Amino acid sequence: MPKIVKTSLLLLLFLVSNVQAEFPTKPIKIVVYTGPGGLIDITARKFASIADKYVDATFVVENKPGAGGIVALKKVLQSPEDGYNLYACTKSNIAKFIQVGGRDYVNALHWTAMLMADPECVISNKQNEMFEWSDIVQNALKNPRSQNWVGPAAGGLDHVTAMKIWDEYGMEAKWIPYKSGGKAMAALLGEQGIAYVGNPRDALGNPNLYIAAVSSKQRLKVFPNTPTFSELGVPNLDNEYMWRGFALKAGTPQDIIDWYENLFIKVTADPEWQEFWSRGGIDVEFIGGEEFANIVRQDVETFEYYLTKSEIITTNNSNGLAILASGYPFLLFTIGLIAILLIVGLLIYRSNISHVLGRVMVIGFFLIISTILYLQTLTFPVNSEVGPAIVPRLWILMIVPLSLLLLFRTFKRKEKVEANGPRMDIVLMFIGFLVVYLLIMNYIGYFISTFLFIVVGMIYLGYKNHKVTLIVATSWILFSYVIFYKILFVSLPIGKLIEGLF
Amino acid sequence: MELLSNLGDGFSYVFGVVPILTIVLGVAMGIIAGATPGLSPSMGVALLVPFTYAMSPTLALILLVAIYIAANYGGSITAVTINAPGTPSSVVTAFDGYPLTKKGKPGMALGVSLVASTVGGIIGTLILIFFSGPLAKVALKFHPAEYFALAIFGLTTVASLGGKNWIKAFIAAMFGLLINTIGIDPISGVSRFTFGLSFLYDGFALIPALIGLFALSEIFKQLEDGKFDSKAAKSTNQEWPTFGEYWKLKLTILRSSIMGTIIGIFPGAGATIAAFISYDVSKRFSKKPEEFGKGSLEGVAAAEGANSSSVGGALIPLLTLGIPGSASTAVLIGALMIHDLTPGPQLFISNPEIIYGLLASLLLANVVLLGLGFFGSKLWIKVTTIPKRILFPVIFAVSIIGSFAVRNSFFDVIACLAFGVFGWILRRYNYPVAPIVLGMVLGNIAETNFIRAVMMGGWTIFFTRPASLIMLLVAVGSFAVPLIQARKST
Repeated sequence: MPKIVKTSLLLLLFLVSNVQAEFPTKPIKIVVYTGPGGLIDITARKFASIADKYVDATFVVENKPGAGGIVALKKVLQSPEDGYNLYACTKSNIAKFIQVGGRDYVNALHWTAMLMADPECVISNKQNEMFEWSDIVQNALKNPRSQNWVGPAAGGLDHVTAMKIWDEYGMEAKWIPYKSGGKAMAALLGEQGIAYVGNPRDALGNPNLYIAAVSSKQRLKVFPNTPTFSELGVPNLDNEYMWRGFALKAGTPQDIIDWYENLFIKVTADPEWQEFWSRGGIDVEFIGGEEFANIVRQDVETFEYYLTKSEIITTNNSNGLAILASGYPFLLFTIGLIAILLIVGLLIYRSNISHVLGRVMVIGFFLIISTILYLQTLTFPVNSEVGPAIVPRLWILMIVPLSLLLLFRTFKRKEKVEANGPRMDIVLMFIGFLVVYLLIMNYIGYFISTFLFIVVGMIYLGYKNHKVTLIVATSWILFSYVIFYKILFVSLPIGKLIEGLF
Repeated sequence: MELLSNLGDGFSYVFGVVPILTIVLGVAMGIIAGATPGLSPSMGVALLVPFTYAMSPTLALILLVAIYIAANYGGSITAVTINAPGTPSSVVTAFDGYPLTKKGKPGMALGVSLVASTVGGIIGTLILIFFSGPLAKVALKFHPAEYFALAIFGLTTVASLGGKNWIKAFIAAMFGLLINTIGIDPISGVSRFTFGLSFLYDGFALIPALIGLFALSEIFKQLEDGKFDSKAAKSTNQEWPTFGEYWKLKLTILRSSIMGTIIGIFPGAGATIAAFISYDVSKRFSKKPEEFGKGSLEGVAAAEGANSSSVGGALIPLLTLGIPGSASTAVLIGALMIHDLTPGPQLFISNPEIIYGLLASLLLANVVLLGLGFFGSKLWIKVTTIPKRILFPVIFAVSIIGSFAVRNSFFDVIACLAFGVFGWILRRYNYPVAPIVLGMVLGNIAETNFIRAVMMGGWTIFFTRPASLIMLLVAVGSFAVPLIQARKST
């Protein structure tokens, strides 16, 4: 091996080990997949404040809500695997990842730590005619699919837990999903549902709510009167729980993972941490390494099984017209529709009714969108009498006849259209400016591109006083920097070229 | 009365230096958050939650509630001055507020919107204090079939929004509803119309669509006119409403405040529907319905009264049942939980000082809002005297940062621009754009509750439940009447 390669390799090794020994050298971001205020957000913030005691590191909590954790996942995956982005995760993420991206999404993370687990439970309403667990089961066995069970989104942890419970008892009920646990709780309190599946904490605060059964090995300290499923005769249901913890990007170096594990052990042993969670009846315990990996693997299998069973993940049924909804046929079909619209447009433009051109094109746009989306609905699974295709089709089937009626009227009747301004060129120019502005923002960042945009825009509109132009643009940049970038932590793009400079 | 003495205790807590300063600070921040397109009341509240972790629970709630109230009002400022509704509910304020600005009377619109907001806020709070118990029971009994009927009722306001162009208004509303179905279906969990693109999983965010359809399309339209030398208002010495003019609006404000509070109670319905329905109803009651949409003070008052009073309504299920009535109150629940307090009826017994302190601070925050808002309006009004050559490029910049800030997403910026161009084209051909927003707001409520209702009780449930049947009949009526009137007048 030539000497120079050897030396540089050694140097590189030295640098790498040096960097790792010093971890962390900059603030660590804890990426939270919900907005502030949720349980996982509270977990992340409490963790940050306690971890401060044990390590010389700054933790910054960053909320990246959206799509059940996918947005936050993308954020972590876009950053290097250097340990500076800690993903605050829950078991719900596994369900969502499986649903949206399959195992690839799960494997994109290194599931580093599970810090606590809440048992799942069934909550009922004392105002309902039945609220004791045995009564609910008896009733369900007698009248299959008559009970309404309420909870958050279909395919989530609570729904899957409910399906597991039904399987164990051989009973059948309907899952009525709500936008959030809170809204489902309202339905339970309004006596529209018979049972709610979720966290035992949810039953606190309202005397009508009753925990019918809890899925844990022993009775909970906070709810000593609540029976466990094993006491009620079904031992297989003693371990359904919601876990919360942290994950790193897959491929993060082992010594950084070790650094974190060390920290998790210390935080878990911290009295303040334990005391904070035990008040809500949550036991904290650190589980990492292979043991946690196994839990995640098992969760993946459970979710895959139940999500397939309830037809939330499906293989596409491409029969008949649905072939046109994906792949090349879809592309060709769409291009064909647009081509037809353009040809019709051209014919109208050349004819003596050219004044209706714009109006016809707008109607044509609505019709094309409707056709394309209607074809898409053919691929949706039909997993209940009111499947996901029903409502979009309803809206489309109202747009189409109305558009045709409008089209008919456009040709038939003289419609008075307000005269539009003469300067379409200015509008098109500005749209052009905006497109260029957004394109260059990726390279030179928000601040420089916005400055240029404001200056160019004002000059183009004929503003003569260039001093004022510069003052306006500069003040806007300063304002957005201080308010949005510094105070509100909006992560405005800095730009690839600018980042390259530093 | 026990209630009054408890409330007295609440006030004695709030009348301290620190709580009052907190309220003033919260109201000021709320107005700014609301007036910034891209920052909604719930985001304003959410952004501040981390700071409240270190405060006492009562003080934390006072701060958050002050922001919540003020942000709900703040949205109307940009709606009036530059046709960029800062919050979804202030879309309705823009219907008449912005035409008033164009006529050179922004002071009239800002004055009425401020007073209607404060009065609405206070009425909402009073209803919350005195009737929360029985109203909460009604909210609980509201079946999905009734939520669906309420959404349909909200949609029928399209008929009167559209006037002669009712077909176009209806197509626009249906298009909004269709856009709303893009993303993961909340009921079945299936992803719809996403074409495998991950940024579409959550669908289109409302705020960027709002900014595009209203603010950007308006600028495009004015650019097309090519007249840049006129200003919206000649000077900051503005015409403000006189007491007599406020007094004339008393019935409108009272009616819309009561409607706003009641619609605000139902979890998920919220301020936007309240504003739309109240606007529609006020138009029907009005002696001058033809002025609506062209700069009617009644229209501004109806919209603002309803959306501000809905705050009180949204707090009813939160305080009495522990159930969030809106996105902002969901954040408040989180703030309570971090202080180890469980929202719900138990809270009245375990921590009455928090509940009554909160109620007292709601009333006080509305009074502070009136004061700060009054001085603020004089500042905001200057926006309308800025030459268009400066204003337009800056509004573009505001829109872009505002739509980015919603989710830190570049996709939203592109969506905002696309909605702007789309809205401009639609407006060139006399399509109203507000129905698209209405469709996007109501789509989710209509669809999820339709499906839940059918799952629970089959297809006929909408007609077998009396409340839902009556609401649907009223909806059909309120849809048909303006159409018949429009036909007669042509």
